[in-house]
Amino acid sequence: MNTTRIHPFVVEAEDLTKRFGDRVAVDHVNLRIPAGSAFGYLGPNGAGKTTLIRMLLGLTGATSGSMRLLGLPMPERRAAALGRVGAIVEEPRSHPFLTGRENLEIVAAARDREAHKRIDGALARVGLTNRADNRVKTYSLGMRQRLGVARALLGDPELLILDEPMNGLDPAGMEDMRLMIRGLVAEGRTVVFSSHLLDEVEKTCDEVAIVDLGRVVVQGTIDELTEDTGAVLVATGDDLRARALLGGDGVELVEDGLRVRARDAAAINRLLVESGLDVHRLEPERVSLERRFLEITSRLEVAA
Amino acid sequence: MTALAPSLPTPRLVRAELLKLRKRRSLSVTVAALTVGGTVVTYAILALLHVANPAHHGPAGGVTNLSHVIWLLSALGGGAAVLAGTTAGAGDLGAGVFRELVVTGRSRIALFLARIPGGLAFLLSGVALAYTVAAVASVAFAGSLASPSTGSLVAGGLWVLLSTSVYFLLALGLSSLVGSRTTTVVILLAWRFALMPIILSLTFLGGARDAFPDAGIQQLAPHAFADNLQVGRLSMSAAASALVLVAWTAAALAIGAWRTATRDA
Repeated sequence: MNTTRIHPFVVEAEDLTKRFGDRVAVDHVNLRIPAGSAFGYLGPNGAGKTTLIRMLLGLTGATSGSMRLLGLPMPERRAAALGRVGAIVEEPRSHPFLTGRENLEIVAAARDREAHKRIDGALARVGLTNRADNRVKTYSLGMRQRLGVARALLGDPELLILDEPMNGLDPAGMEDMRLMIRGLVAEGRTVVFSSHLLDEVEKTCDEVAIVDLGRVVVQGTIDELTEDTGAVLVATGDDLRARALLGGDGVELVEDGLRVRARDAAAINRLLVESGLDVHRLEPERVSLERRFLEITSRLEVAA
Repeated sequence: MTALAPSLPTPRLVRAELLKLRKRRSLSVTVAALTVGGTVVTYAILALLHVANPAHHGPAGGVTNLSHVIWLLSALGGGAAVLAGTTAGAGDLGAGVFRELVVTGRSRIALFLARIPGGLAFLLSGVALAYTVAAVASVAFAGSLASPSTGSLVAGGLWVLLSTSVYFLLALGLSSLVGSRTTTVVILLAWRFALMPIILSLTFLGGARDAFPDAGIQQLAPHAFADNLQVGRLSMSAAASALVLVAWTAAALAIGAWRTATRDA
């Protein structure tokens, strides 16, 4: 990647709004996405994820507000900015009567001269080398998705914006995609992707923004959003005895062990072991991204 | 990474447009059938009729038969031009690939302009091959008839290329505006094969007929073939005819380019 990073944020949106008639699809969004990270953009269907991505990429205009991509104002510096960006918007589309390679050649022709030389590498990276000369109409949904990623890589992008890149992928494909995204970030690129597959986002991203009803509700690192609850999850050879030993309020039986609130994990472990109990599990309880997501979006729906 | 050059299409972009049209098997077969196929079948029939009954059917070649084939090639080539033009104009939109091209940062005007040389290269190669077959046959099968002169052969070929190019450009511009292949094909085929012949034959319209593109095309028909290629009595000069054609094609391309530049991708 030939890049001189001079701007700490790859995406900056300020009061960005998009209306379709009376409907507000994106509502005064303020967003800053740091360079060099995997950034998840989460929200339920109809939350405005794709509309924001389409605005960032100059596919549709904003009603009001401003945005910068790689430090460049959009849409004023659209060509310069998008030349350094690779993107999949909604499902990747291709000409079905052309081969995978020919579809890449068409997009490479619209990019800089070097893009054509990257076709073989991009196909190899997404595992499509063996099917590159077959027509796209013979591809599975997952293969079309991977072809879309290959297309996004042709410009040697500093920033990849992927809209639901894991749609249509089987578990192995999702694992490959996750590894690829982490690999791209390790190369110094930034990957922004929208998804509703919260488990995948939690495994893949450094930072996320949760959107609903057109607004960014919360933004933070995965650690911040899946914060420690202060409780400890414990599983032993005899949970009933362990409960009696730990005693008092704040110890409850849960599905696969005990949940002990506001206690020191080391002290719990010492007490149980010295009492002759085998400790199989001892870990701080964290709020999953899924739980946090559901809490936030359901709260908004009630308020709305 | 370099900023992409503005609005002019690169040769690579033009080749990509040509690839997209050439690889559509149904389009390629249809265009070949309407141009080369139509010409070959016509001359084959004329030759067979002459062989079967020379007393009633003259030789297949000669100037008059060539003028009939030029008329046919202009009509069928016009249909092929509409199909090619609408595919070039709305093919990417229909497949959803326009968006994939726009996110490269390439100027939308450049994407639009690349369709012109790419589409013309696709269409005119078929038309030129068909006319070459016609020209060779008109000389080879002339028999007792006068063969067309070299000058009239060249003029006839240029006119066929002109008439098909005009319809290609109209189809390209209109389909880029409408965003639908099928709708544009229906509109332009009805215009070309139903509306235009009727309008040009309505003598009470007088000089107003000269404002239509088919009037301009017909007025520019080579003298050697004019009797078979001109409908009604139109009286424009060659310069005025050229101006009519330029105005129509420029207007179609301008609205197509404007819509390509402004539509949500």
